[in-house]
Amino acid sequence: MTRDAVIEADVGVVGAGPGGMAAALRIASSGLSVVVLDEGARPGGQIFRQLPEGFAHASPPTEPPSHGAGHELLHALTGSKVSVESHATVWDARAPRGDDLGCLWFEQGVASRALRCKAIVLAPGAMDRCVPFPGWTLPGVITAGAAQVMVRGYGIKPGSRAVVAGSGPLLLPTVTALVSAGVKVVAALESAPRRAALRALPGVLRSGARLREAFFYARQLWRSGVSLQFSRAVFAVEGDGRVQRAVIGQLDREGNPIASTAKTVDADVVCTGFGLVPSIEIGQRLGCRATWNEARGGWHIEALDFGATNVDRVFAVGEIAGIGGSEVAIAEGRAAGELVCAQLQQRGALTHVRDRSRAVRAAADAMLRAFSVPRGVYSLVKDGTIVCRCEDVNAKAVRDASALHGDSLRAIKMGCRAGMGPCQGRICAPSVQAIASRGSTRAWDEPVVQIPLKPVRTSTILDAPKV
Amino acid sequence: MSGDLRIDGVSHGESIEFTFEGQPVKGHKGETVAMALWAHGCQALRNSSRDGAPRAVLCNMGICYECLVRIDGAVVRACMTEIEPGMIVERGGKS
Repeated sequence: MTRDAVIEADVGVVGAGPGGMAAALRIASSGLSVVVLDEGARPGGQIFRQLPEGFAHASPPTEPPSHGAGHELLHALTGSKVSVESHATVWDARAPRGDDLGCLWFEQGVASRALRCKAIVLAPGAMDRCVPFPGWTLPGVITAGAAQVMVRGYGIKPGSRAVVAGSGPLLLPTVTALVSAGVKVVAALESAPRRAALRALPGVLRSGARLREAFFYARQLWRSGVSLQFSRAVFAVEGDGRVQRAVIGQLDREGNPIASTAKTVDADVVCTGFGLVPSIEIGQRLGCRATWNEARGGWHIEALDFGATNVDRVFAVGEIAGIGGSEVAIAEGRAAGELVCAQLQQRGALTHVRDRSRAVRAAADAMLRAFSVPRGVYSLVKDGTIVCRCEDVNAKAVRDASALHGDSLRAIKMGCRAGMGPCQGRICAPSVQAIASRGSTRAWDEPVVQIPLKPVRTSTILDAPKV
Repeated sequence: MSGDLRIDGVSHGESIEFTFEGQPVKGHKGETVAMALWAHGCQALRNSSRDGAPRAVLCNMGICYECLVRIDGAVVRACMTEIEPGMIVERGGKS
């Protein structure tokens, strides 16, 4: 089947996770045409990952209550007129302006295609925040998200003995997924102190859904016999060509490792994640204003009510507008969908969807404020520890470059190549400045956005539809 | 390749055979190159750019580019590329 190189729709949505699905469904229900571009093989995003077609669980694992909403969205999507383009990597974008349509250029397999539309909703999601430690480049060190994709997305165990370490509410689903897969969780380590979890409580209590979710994980954890240990981290990982051992230990109040508490445990996989970082590149490319808020994962696109941004007819929902979880993404997706329809159909927008998205966002902010990454964990990074994995740049090179050229992301990149590889600094940028500035708490530089937004084939760029 | 990390009780569709570094590998339709290899305990997918050290899947969602391999002459992310019968996959990066 040959597909048109250029397609058109009233609305283009980027990302088929909870926010993108909710927005697209709301828009399609008003009779407008909507195309969702998604990089995955199937809709659902990372949070609602499904097994591939043809795979089945003999006895499906127990799911958290929040996943009910995912099944509802996926089911509704199947019966809707929403068109989903999977395996689609968006590499450039232009906002609609006046009577000119906006455009999203994407690579799909070997095809170079473009979607023209009157409005754009951005729901690209987020990625795990990585904090480097000695040995973290060894095969077998994966992100918490990667572990969940393996288990829930492919029915594959990350390993047989796992250490889970990092910070924030996502450690719990990671432990639960591993246990359900039959992986022995040797240690589950939260770098934040126990009082952080207590500080998160009011935010949890403000949302019924979050409370049910917390109960679910508390029960799963209790059943599995794994206990989450606070103020602890992986100090280093060792092994011959792959992960064989993890050195774990206690952190002091500022998050600095206490060397005397270090002990070595046997493990073949280490799952690590210090919260999430919003994927904002496409928003930046479209001219959306980014803003810094540590509780929301650092740099995120500034979204107003109904997901509107400073760019006309460009909307940002869910994690791109600041980390908040699937409940927030769904509420904001619906709200943005409502305003998109109101604008394109020239009527007023219903305000109750906006009020709902405001409320769930406020609750998420209150909870996530409790889990900021303790600065001290960056002192785990030794001179020889690789920080930029694409270009093999170690921490000493980052510090030297920063001493010579200043501690801006751009200066460090020019000085030592950190952030110059194919991931375009997505993995290292959050740690590069933390390492260079030795723990200062100021806002880091806004990441530099470049075209292509993700590496694509040269032919994709040369053959890009001229629209 | 030894070992099997597929979760007990998960049934799969069609079997697919492909090669990695000349060795035959069995996977299932719908699996990515990275996951089919990981299931067999084969993690290292590329050699790092300067010191040639083995690297493997980090993010498993197409962001980190640590799993770059060579398929039909093109450099692609093993975690985002589904396996196909007869596919010839080679290690990425320095050899």
